Amino acid sequence: MKRKITPYLIVSPYIIHFIIFIAFPVIFSIILTFHKWNIISPMEYSGFNNYIQLFQDKLFLKSVLNTLVFLVIHIPLQIVVALFLAEVLNQKLRLRGFFRAAFFLPVVVSGVVVTILWQQLYGFDTGLLNRILVFLGFGKVGWLVNPKLAMPSIAIMATWKNVGLYIVLFLVGLQTVPKYYYEAADLEGASHWQKFTKITLPMINPTIFMVVILSTIGGFSLFIEPYIMTGGGPLNSTLSAVLYIYKQGFFYYHMGYSATLGLFFAIIIVGVVIVQKKFIEREV
Amino acid sequence: MKRAIFYIVLVFGALMFLYPFLWMLTATLVPESEIGKLTLIPSSVSLNSYRQMFDKIPIGRALLNSVFVASTITLGVLIFGSMVGYALSRLQFRGRNLIFYIIIFTMTLPFQITLIPQYIIMVKLGWVDTYLALIVPYLMNALSIIMFRQYFKSIPQDLIDAARIDGCSELGIIFRILWPNSIPALVTIGIITFMASWNEVLWPLIVIRNEDLMTMPQLVTLFAVGGRAESQLGVKLASAMVLALPIVLAYLFFQRYFIQSMASTGMKE
Amino acid sequence: MFNSSTKYFQISILLFLVLIISCKNEIDKKNKFLYWSSNNSYEIKFARYAVNKWNEQNPDKPQIKFQPVPEGQSSEEVILAAVVGKTTPDIYSNMWQGDVEGYAQAGALIPFDTLNGFTKFIYERCDSSVIEEIRSQDGHIYQIPWKINPIMMIYNKNIISDLGLNKPPHTYDEYLKAAALFKKDTNDDGYVDQWFGYSEVIVTWWQRFFDFYPLYLAASGGAPLIKDNKAAFNNEYAIKVFTFLQKLYSNQYFARERLSARQDVFLSGVIATRFTGPWEIVHAEKYKPEGFEYDFSSIPVPDDFKGPIYTYGDPKNIVIFNTCKDPQAAWEFIKFMITKENDLKLLELTSQLPRRKNLYNDSLFAGYFNANPKMKTFAKQSKYVKGTDSSPVLKEVFDLISQEYEASVIYGVKTPEQAINDAAHAVNLLFLK
Repeated sequence: MKRKITPYLIVSPYIIHFIIFIAFPVIFSIILTFHKWNIISPMEYSGFNNYIQLFQDKLFLKSVLNTLVFLVIHIPLQIVVALFLAEVLNQKLRLRGFFRAAFFLPVVVSGVVVTILWQQLYGFDTGLLNRILVFLGFGKVGWLVNPKLAMPSIAIMATWKNVGLYIVLFLVGLQTVPKYYYEAADLEGASHWQKFTKITLPMINPTIFMVVILSTIGGFSLFIEPYIMTGGGPLNSTLSAVLYIYKQGFFYYHMGYSATLGLFFAIIIVGVVIVQKKFIEREV
Repeated sequence: MKRAIFYIVLVFGALMFLYPFLWMLTATLVPESEIGKLTLIPSSVSLNSYRQMFDKIPIGRALLNSVFVASTITLGVLIFGSMVGYALSRLQFRGRNLIFYIIIFTMTLPFQITLIPQYIIMVKLGWVDTYLALIVPYLMNALSIIMFRQYFKSIPQDLIDAARIDGCSELGIIFRILWPNSIPALVTIGIITFMASWNEVLWPLIVIRNEDLMTMPQLVTLFAVGGRAESQLGVKLASAMVLALPIVLAYLFFQRYFIQSMASTGMKE
Repeated sequence: MFNSSTKYFQISILLFLVLIISCKNEIDKKNKFLYWSSNNSYEIKFARYAVNKWNEQNPDKPQIKFQPVPEGQSSEEVILAAVVGKTTPDIYSNMWQGDVEGYAQAGALIPFDTLNGFTKFIYERCDSSVIEEIRSQDGHIYQIPWKINPIMMIYNKNIISDLGLNKPPHTYDEYLKAAALFKKDTNDDGYVDQWFGYSEVIVTWWQRFFDFYPLYLAASGGAPLIKDNKAAFNNEYAIKVFTFLQKLYSNQYFARERLSARQDVFLSGVIATRFTGPWEIVHAEKYKPEGFEYDFSSIPVPDDFKGPIYTYGDPKNIVIFNTCKDPQAAWEFIKFMITKENDLKLLELTSQLPRRKNLYNDSLFAGYFNANPKMKTFAKQSKYVKGTDSSPVLKEVFDLISQEYEASVIYGVKTPEQAINDAAHAVNLLFLK
């Protein structure tokens, strides 16, 4: 008898936790989408109003597009930089450990620190990057001031923060490529570039796709960077979807609407990830 | 020749990753008017920015909060994660697969769905502005369960059988037999969990408004966004520095573990 | 073996208990009233003074327990969290006027006009225009106007005289001309790095209290933004303000870059003017470099403007929450706290102006103003200040204006007419919902 109950006792904390913090919220969030509620007054049934509002909400559409813009810049940039540095680090060189550790440092530091720091680097007038550009004889760049550049600037910063992790992942991937492939290519007199495109790339395809999925999921939760750096501006160009959901929920206390946005955005995320996975399965 | 190019690339790269941090460190130590200069050698050094920052915000208290919250969560995740991981890998019972699929499902569920209802639950439970709101929702973690399950599968069944014959309870098996044999898994999951909760900032922003309960990232974020730094840049950067320091120190000493652990989250897919 | 595993269990349970106990911070209520002030250190001093005096003089009446509002992201959010969790104090004295309507409609506040002696009191303290401003849509009054911090133009005296001017610019035209003189690229790198003014370049709703809103009140002689649940700001005044501000940005008299992330730009002479409140005095006295001189003047107005110049007063008011068991008794304390003598004490301790009739002419306050000439400027202004309109969606209104402000004023992608029209249209949609 005791034997039979024990497993359930052991998993019961998880079940309770799951019901309270996952199952109930998911159901409640669906109920909320049909209500208008500012928390202090009673909940009001509002039918499909939240959904109607959502489809007319240009700002939400913009925030989703902004998030996609971020991903489209961030992911390829990250893969190229990470792959390049991993490839260099994969050579037999001294101090590899040191360099790897240096590239990895921003990964462990809080995004808050990185954002506060880069806000200074990106400053138009006195920012470090512009000072360097002027020193080298170039013009100043409106990193965070120009609405067209603000999101790319944030994407560059995010790449700087995360690339160390992906360098390590690629290094692991590179190590799985059998040495004799390269030796054979050397015998045929292949150039470094040929070896890279013909051997390395196909062999580490799985790692690349894993990196794509990981940074997609991470990128969809973009929040603290625009929250600290730009507050979503200029001209809403860095307003990410999560920042917009946060604003609707915790600036205006539109709980019902915010939950609707959250639900809808989650569906978009799942959709994008499924499409990516399909694509991967076909490729690999 | 080729090697030289490689080294140049690496040195340049390392400079790109380290220089900003060094620049930040310098900026917190020089007089306000010298911030923004490109050089790293200041004309005079003072801890003034740090002193002012400690006067303005209860950063010491926030550090203790962060340590308390992150440690409790880590301990909870290790205990509960290993319990569920053990049940899923080593015990036979009805519904085991169902639970496994539920866990996989929760891993794919974007947090954006549950954000608002979870906040409302906190309100209804009266947990807003308490440590409970910061800790309890994070005590279970799907990834850690899966990782424990995976790791426990590699431990020989003989070990468990022998313990059972000795009259060891199931919990005894987990904590007395499996834990000592799973140090790498414990370290990895511990580091990942600790880092994740240490750096979490969206959730504290939502459930904590009392400054005495704020964790460091939240306090520093509000300090950076709000007006209390009184436009003193060095003070702002000093708060960021203090936020970075504990993790950077830990990283310097346990670098290898950090890199391996964080990379293993990526290996899961 | 068995024992040791139960030990693990006991430890984890113990840990939880410790957790739960350490988290519960019960407020002891007893028979006392709980009063929250703002957490500004000068105001805490005043609140302590007033509460101690009351408790000493009235041992037979309900005693007051005082506490500054718990620190948080902003006091508005803390209050909201308290209302949601039903942990509000009995009395709160730092209520932003724009929040009152929402709480009143949610039934969280006590209407003062149902309490004995209130109506007489309020007509003695305030002008009828102020009373109309604080009256809620249902006709009741849920707040007592207490203190204000009028927004005015601070200017760098040294710069103004260096430009050859004998007084700070008063009209848009004068302002623009002075700005053209001051704008400069000091290090010849091809970029302007010295601007005549600056306003934080963020779209957050309250930022408009420091640029658009005071300018609008000044230009329009104190016109409302919203009237009868409709946008009332689609008028020539708003367009004039937007046009003026747009010129400031398109001519680079104002910086588009966020300067808040660097050292104080006003005190370091990078900018010459800024729209701000009396709190700037304390800050400037603390951090100003040697020889730095500054003063305050009214908000710039359109060139053809005549009449008194209004501005935003940033009023903070006193409310009683519905968690209070004896509102009449709470009201007695409030009445005591805001007597004329205590208002003087407030002024002396906090450098914030009490919101009452004839503040500037009253002989009781004259001594203070003579000793603090900069505060005198604010006191003169205090006759012509406005708060905010009563509306539960005021934040959204300001946010919608902010969106258009950014597009038109800062980036010039819309004409002022178009921007004001679009903002008004969006605000009207808000009321239809």
